[in-house]
Amino acid sequence: MTRLTLQVIILCVFMIGSVSCGPSLVIQNVDYSQPLESVLTPDSENMVHDQRYAIKFSVSPILEAEGSSSVNEVHLIRNNDGYYFVTANGFQNVYVFAPGEGELKLENTIEFVENALGEPAFNKREGYIELVDLSNNESYRLDHEGILEEETE
Amino acid sequence: MNTFIKQISLFLVLTLCTGISAIAQQSDYQIQQDFNTEYKELLERIEQAGTTEALSEIEEAINNFETEYEEHSDIIDASLHPETFENAISTLRDNHAQAVESTSTIEDLNDQVSSLEDEIDGFKSQLDQMDQETADLQQQIQESTENEARQAALIRQYRENIEERNLFVSNFLGDLLSKYQSMDRAQRQEISEAAGRLEENPVDVIQNVINEYIAMMENAEGLQAPDFVSMKAQHGYFVEVWNQVGEQLTAIFSPDNPEQARANVNQLLSNWSDSINTNLWNSLHTAFSENDIQLNEFSSSEELNTALHTYLDNAYEASVEANSEEDYNIYQNFNSFWNNTVKSEWGEMFVEGDILTQAQIAAVDTKLDNWRDEAAPTSNLIFILLIVSIAVIIGLVVLLLTRKSDSGSKA
Repeated sequence: MTRLTLQVIILCVFMIGSVSCGPSLVIQNVDYSQPLESVLTPDSENMVHDQRYAIKFSVSPILEAEGSSSVNEVHLIRNNDGYYFVTANGFQNVYVFAPGEGELKLENTIEFVENALGEPAFNKREGYIELVDLSNNESYRLDHEGILEEETE
Repeated sequence: MNTFIKQISLFLVLTLCTGISAIAQQSDYQIQQDFNTEYKELLERIEQAGTTEALSEIEEAINNFETEYEEHSDIIDASLHPETFENAISTLRDNHAQAVESTSTIEDLNDQVSSLEDEIDGFKSQLDQMDQETADLQQQIQESTENEARQAALIRQYRENIEERNLFVSNFLGDLLSKYQSMDRAQRQEISEAAGRLEENPVDVIQNVINEYIAMMENAEGLQAPDFVSMKAQHGYFVEVWNQVGEQLTAIFSPDNPEQARANVNQLLSNWSDSINTNLWNSLHTAFSENDIQLNEFSSSEELNTALHTYLDNAYEASVEANSEEDYNIYQNFNSFWNNTVKSEWGEMFVEGDILTQAQIAAVDTKLDNWRDEAAPTSNLIFILLIVSIAVIIGLVVLLLTRKSDSGSKA
């Protein structure tokens, strides 16, 4: 029993040592935000490529979720926390993605079911992403969790 | 009253809020897209602007553009990175300033070219008119052989016409001299760039003028020695001006091959000189002959000078030997023609046209003075008075001796 206890203690010390000796450098308050949205045109394979902000992905899963086969332009912006907001003309949702290793993982779907977005555009604002619908002059404050405060004219 | 103020305030606040919210509905992306589009349009407008008026309008447009987008400079800075809104405006202003300078230069150049064209057209038009008058007069002279009085009047008019033409061409050459001799390299370059647009440039005009002169000399009916002397002087002035501005003119107006253009004009000047000489020496010989001065034949300046000296030397010798009244008359005739016609009327043109130099004229004057001293007939009065005096003295001596001998014999 004593021997077992000693082995457990040695194992714990070893594990604690291993963890404490591993990479522990963390940079706080990173601002991932794009100052301007990117307006991207999908190619024939529904791939969009934002050369300025160095991201390339397929919009096919989004189109599938939206129940649409194609789209002329995709609006993309990234907020301070690094979440990607994606939408397009006629979409009923804004899709919020978290970046992962070789993937964009859907974090949230912000719905605009009653009034589909006629002419959406993202603006980066202090502390939130502004979504404006130029077709009806409506605007919304968004973060990755949803609409913060709705401004309706 | 308070209610009214409240209503007005509410209206203003609502209006302001509406305005603010209207601005809030803009897309930043669209703003930067609009900025880029307008920026490119302004750059293009600057590039295509051809007048200072158009550039003034563009300057105002740049000011409006700056005012319109200044509030969005953060967005634009982000979209243009590493360029900035400020850099973009500076680029517009710099390009605009350069365009203003270029346009101003081009407009100046256009003005210069236009002025040059007007000048050349005016000159050509007047010269053509004079040439036409000269041709008409020549025609009339040929047709009026039966009426001597009328022919003489026409010839006088013809000669006056040529004088007027010479004066006009001289003024043109003077203008060329003052304009192009002092021109700096940059000005010459500017004119040269625009010279291709001229239908006829000053070098062409000079060639045409010389060709006209040659044609005139080849059909010199009615002209006399003074006309050819005058033409020789005109040629001398032409050569002098050409030597001073020919290089600049050909560099400006024949930039592709200035040497060839200069050689062409030099050849024409040489042909013109030959055509003058053909008439000049004969007419001068005739002028001397008509005044009873028989010079040896001459066909150049040197030969004329030699002929004059030979004549003077021979005349001097004759005067020394004979000292006759006739010799003195010959001297007076030559002296009169030399001083009243050759020196007074033709002297300047002789020098200008390289017919005789000042030194050669002075040498003739010196010989003429010597000739005068020898040609003046010596008076016999002193000799007669001497003889009379001797005779009187002899008479008085004889009278004295006779009286002495008479008184001796009486004593």
